[in-house]
Amino acid sequence: MIKLRNLERRYPLAKEKFFYVLRDINIDIQEGEFISIMGPSGAGKSTLLHILGMHDHGWRGEYFFRETAVHHLKTKERATLRNEQIGFVFQQYHLLDDLTVYENLDIPLSYRRYSKSERAALVADTLDRFQIVGKKDLYPRQLSGGQQQLVGVARAIIAEPKLLLADEPTGNLHSGQGEEIMELFRKLNDEGMTIIQVTHSEKNASYGKRTIQLRDGWITKREQ
Amino acid sequence: MNDLKFALRQLRKSPAFTLIAVLTLALGIGLNTAIFSLINDLFLRGLPFKEPQRLVHMYSNARERNLLELAISVPRFEHYRDSQTIFDGFGAENVSAFRLTGLGDAVQVLGGQVTSNYFDVLGVRPIRGRNFLPEEEKTADVAMVTENFWRKRLGGDPNAIGRGITLNGMPHTIVGVLPNLPFSWVGPGAEVWTTKPFEIAGISYERIMRGSGVLRVVGRLKPGMTLEQARAALPPLEQSYRARYPDKIDSSSVMTLKTLAEDTTGNLRPAFVILLTAVGFVLLIACSNVANLLLVRFSGRRREIALRMAIGASRRGVVRLFIFESLLVSVIAGIAGALLAWYVVPIVPKMASNFLPFDPDTRVELSLGVLGFTIVMSILTGVVMAIYPALQTSRADLVGALKEGGRGTSGSAQQLRFRKFLIGAQVALSVTLLAGAALLITSFVRLSQQSIGYRADNLWIGFVTLPQARYPDDASRERFAEQTLAALRNAPGIESATMCADIPLIPAGSSNTLYARPESEILPIDKRAAAAFHNVAPDYFKTWGIPLLAGRDFNEHDVAGGQNVILISQSGAKKIFGNESPIGKTLLVGSDSTPAEIVGIVGDVRTRKIAEPDDVELYRPWAQQSFSFLSIDVRSNLSVDAVTKLVRSALATVDPGLAVALPQSMSAIVAQAVGQTRLMMWLLGIFAGVALLLASIGIYGAVAYTVEQRTGEIGVRMALGAQTRDVLQLVVKQGMKPVLSGLALGIIATFALGRLIAAQLYQVSAHDPVLLGGATVLLAATALMACLLPARRATHVNPIQALRTE
Repeated sequence: MIKLRNLERRYPLAKEKFFYVLRDINIDIQEGEFISIMGPSGAGKSTLLHILGMHDHGWRGEYFFRETAVHHLKTKERATLRNEQIGFVFQQYHLLDDLTVYENLDIPLSYRRYSKSERAALVADTLDRFQIVGKKDLYPRQLSGGQQQLVGVARAIIAEPKLLLADEPTGNLHSGQGEEIMELFRKLNDEGMTIIQVTHSEKNASYGKRTIQLRDGWITKREQ
Repeated sequence: MNDLKFALRQLRKSPAFTLIAVLTLALGIGLNTAIFSLINDLFLRGLPFKEPQRLVHMYSNARERNLLELAISVPRFEHYRDSQTIFDGFGAENVSAFRLTGLGDAVQVLGGQVTSNYFDVLGVRPIRGRNFLPEEEKTADVAMVTENFWRKRLGGDPNAIGRGITLNGMPHTIVGVLPNLPFSWVGPGAEVWTTKPFEIAGISYERIMRGSGVLRVVGRLKPGMTLEQARAALPPLEQSYRARYPDKIDSSSVMTLKTLAEDTTGNLRPAFVILLTAVGFVLLIACSNVANLLLVRFSGRRREIALRMAIGASRRGVVRLFIFESLLVSVIAGIAGALLAWYVVPIVPKMASNFLPFDPDTRVELSLGVLGFTIVMSILTGVVMAIYPALQTSRADLVGALKEGGRGTSGSAQQLRFRKFLIGAQVALSVTLLAGAALLITSFVRLSQQSIGYRADNLWIGFVTLPQARYPDDASRERFAEQTLAALRNAPGIESATMCADIPLIPAGSSNTLYARPESEILPIDKRAAAAFHNVAPDYFKTWGIPLLAGRDFNEHDVAGGQNVILISQSGAKKIFGNESPIGKTLLVGSDSTPAEIVGIVGDVRTRKIAEPDDVELYRPWAQQSFSFLSIDVRSNLSVDAVTKLVRSALATVDPGLAVALPQSMSAIVAQAVGQTRLMMWLLGIFAGVALLLASIGIYGAVAYTVEQRTGEIGVRMALGAQTRDVLQLVVKQGMKPVLSGLALGIIATFALGRLIAAQLYQVSAHDPVLLGGATVLLAATALMACLLPARRATHVNPIQALRTE
């Protein structure tokens, strides 16, 4: 599904001098995999996630996503590809405060130009699937952290992406809530969704099938 | 004191905020101060007469002839003076021009012939000598001059009282020196007054007594008498006059009274109400802009407030701190505004030509009263602007704000609503101003383009008064016209020249005549129709460029004693004769019903008011009827000064003792006649421009601030798939929402305020859909631009960065 070759991300420091966030990254990820990216702070985990999620365009190297050479795509084409194939879950949930649960779920669909009726049907299905029908008219501030992240995950997968990227998805949750989210991830993975998560937690990483260790921008270890 | 020091430090810390807030407010305060200063000079200061509120000006009105606010006739004045019980004093002035000789070159001076009590009625005391005495009213050749006259023409002679001056060839003795009288009452350059108010050079006593209006009549109400009581006392006087003089021209006329204040500035009031409303709007827009800035600024200091409160500050103390800061801004803005007004105020009368009643020799400037107004306005503005933001922000959630650190500038939903309200209000006020300016600009353009029926370009006008002793009758005045015009025709650079008895585009300077068709029912003269009337010398139509449409022009056969002839305007012919040809038909003209044959039809002209046509205009040859006061009209490509020299030379060959008064181009007179509309257009245009600028700054600031606040949210939306157009749409939609509400409100307000401006408009409806639509579209487009700039910036939000800061 994903093939990264000689990928690097650097920031200029002075003339001809750069600060490297990622160096010589070569990764192959198959469809249906559940990968955990681990490493200390500043290792480049989140940067890698944003490159995979096609938010970051300042990298060099080769990136193939389902046979498409992302490195040859223009920004707009990457955005289209991202919208069609990738969903995101954030550590801080990033729900829109002024929108209800229902409206938060509707947002990604509206950006993907779904018709109104399609959107209504998909939101209703998702609310049902995540058992949050009763919360649909509540605002994020009226939900617990776990519930908010549940909505965050629901929002990430509502447009049926092939790849789910999660940046510390349980970082702001207590252990019970964290486990629920990880179980949900496992279930989604079992249903065929490819998941890549960034985590500090060995326990959360154990939900994945493979772990990639990063340090100072280099891949230091690949564990099966 | 500490609060003040802290406020000053805070302002110094944010020079950009201070500068924007001060400039914005200075514009609002400055324009208000300027307009208030003019209002103070025009309306509040009052005339420099004793108890001016007791003074009234009496007018005669022949409503059935649509002749309003005419001068009072001599018989009516005498009748009222003898019978009235409402006035302490009742005086009259016959506004006149005099030829002054014996003090250097002959000059024309303005002034009047007054009843002996005239200055007593006004309550003006001479600074030297005395007022006229009753026994001097009818026979004595005495004069009173102004201080200006005394200083300028008599060199401040301490022995001026008793000194002789020659007016219209007659020696007069100066009995008093008056203080300079207000321009708004006596007009430009009035310097000399004599008695004998019921004598008019060249017009017989019998004719004067027929009831034509010639006198400007003033009355001083008895103490305690109200204007309403005085008005109620008029009908019995009218009835007794009608009963005693049933055959006078004005026997059916109705008298009205106006206070002198209303009389001198009443016609300006509606215009200044509009201007005051407009600058009020500008100030409100400025205040709402700064209030918005303060709200944002104060909200950004939640942590500081929380800290202050945590260590013991009361809410009142916090509010006081913010109000000090706002006051400081508004007081600095007040000073800047006063400077702006100081610069603007003297410009306004110049922009208005001579339409505002300010003495051109007196500099119009800010007074202490006006500065007081500015100070009060600055303080009020400062308090009003700060009170809501201060109260809102001081409702600090201590724990939340402290936890938030210095980052929180989000502001509550209530604050957000308030900011939207401020934007909506700014837009509503701005669109109202823009619509008003659009209406006035269109009005001015239409008025300027109005066909006036004659060519005002290259037309020179000057006024001459012929002394009665030398020019006692039509024949002598005809000789004068023949000789003068012959001399002018021979002068180099003069295309044509003529004379007439009109003062163009000054309604009071034109004359009317009664007319009737002899073959139909002839109404008594007090019921007879009136027409605009012109006594014109040869080449009048050629010089003015008025087309002869049918028949013939006056010629050398139209002489005194011959067949009386007249020319009629096209509209007049249609009105009186319908589809019949009027050529060869007779009209009875004047109060003596002189039969006159119509020999030609000429084009319609607007010589009294540009905005209103006269339905009937009649012209009579100078040889058959003339007056001592006349205008010389010259068509020439030469400059005004050059023509003036030529006219003076021509006059010198005919009568060296004659002087030319007020030489000017007809274009200048026309420009002056549209002065009020032009002034209104300029001022409202400037106010609307400032309003548009302030509103767009306000909208830009609000949207930019919202974008800054929502960077994180925009980043999330982009991460969720929002593309450039989605972000643009989001920001513009949110920015334009209050704008659209404001536009709707503004359109409603414009309709509601239409009545206020309608009287200032010419050939344009106060609800003109194209103009109102144009103003709305202009504001909407400006607002859209103001939204698009920050919206564009929002599309460049880096989602990774945004998510991190979030």
